[in-house]
Amino acid sequence: MKEFKLENESKITTGFKTPENYFNDFSTKVLNQINEGEVKVIPIYKRKKVLAMLAAAVVFIALMIPVVNNYNNTSKDLDANTLETYLAYQSNLNQYDLINQLDTKDIESLNNNVALEKETLEDILSSNPNIESLISE
Amino acid sequence: MTDEKEFIAQLLNPKTQNTAFQKLLSDYQRPLYSHIRNIVLNHDDADDVLQNTFVKIFQYLKNFKGESKLFSWMYRIATNEALTFLNQKAKLNGITSEALQNKTIDNLKADVYFDGDEIQIKLQKAIVTLPEKQQLVFKMKYFEELKYEEIAEILGTSVGALKASYHHAVKKIELYVTSN
Repeated sequence: MKEFKLENESKITTGFKTPENYFNDFSTKVLNQINEGEVKVIPIYKRKKVLAMLAAAVVFIALMIPVVNNYNNTSKDLDANTLETYLAYQSNLNQYDLINQLDTKDIESLNNNVALEKETLEDILSSNPNIESLISE
Repeated sequence: MTDEKEFIAQLLNPKTQNTAFQKLLSDYQRPLYSHIRNIVLNHDDADDVLQNTFVKIFQYLKNFKGESKLFSWMYRIATNEALTFLNQKAKLNGITSEALQNKTIDNLKADVYFDGDEIQIKLQKAIVTLPEKQQLVFKMKYFEELKYEEIAEILGTSVGALKASYHHAVKKIELYVTSN
């Protein structure tokens, strides 16, 4: 094969063509794109940014909910079991201390309980053989 | 040069901006199109890249310092856009830029916007084997017929280095075409 020399050849073109009227329409296309970009794209971009920040804030708050809830629970409401265990094992409370804490209302409700059990009381008394000694006391 | 300063001032002035930009478009759309088309090879891609190029030119015009000529500054934007486009497209297809270009050249035969025969295809195939810089230099010198001084301004290299690059490119292309 003979040696190929670019300078010996007639100029080789690229062979690239464009559609008819391409350049006539092109400037309009670009100008439209630029105007569109000026009017629309910038606000959309800004709105996107605000939306993104808003979404981040919502996610953050949502993540904080369980933390805040637990904080309030543990600090204010002791549950009954914990309190009972504490009083029973960790403190020097005795019966007198408990009695001192009773007010009239508590005593009334205690009496009510007794009144409700009148029949039971009668049963006990009638079946009790030492009833006389109880009366004499 | 003063004319150019005036023209840039018109481009930046909101009152004259539209007319000035239209003039810029009509003056440069053809040469920039050829430049981009020579890099990306098919018309649709060149169309996309050319649009992006002009939009960027418009956006960055206010940052244009006038350190270089408007002409070479626009060519630089076009070159960067085209090369970035090629790399992204190659990445998207999971192949190298060279493989992508080879594929595109094979598709040229069926392209309605390509009117060439064997020698054109062979020349393109030969160009793809060159390093990126030599490809650019060859295309700008041989196809676009830019002056060395202009190419030097666009690519930011010396005229001497460009001449050497072009010389190497021609040698390699001739060798490729002879042996294939």
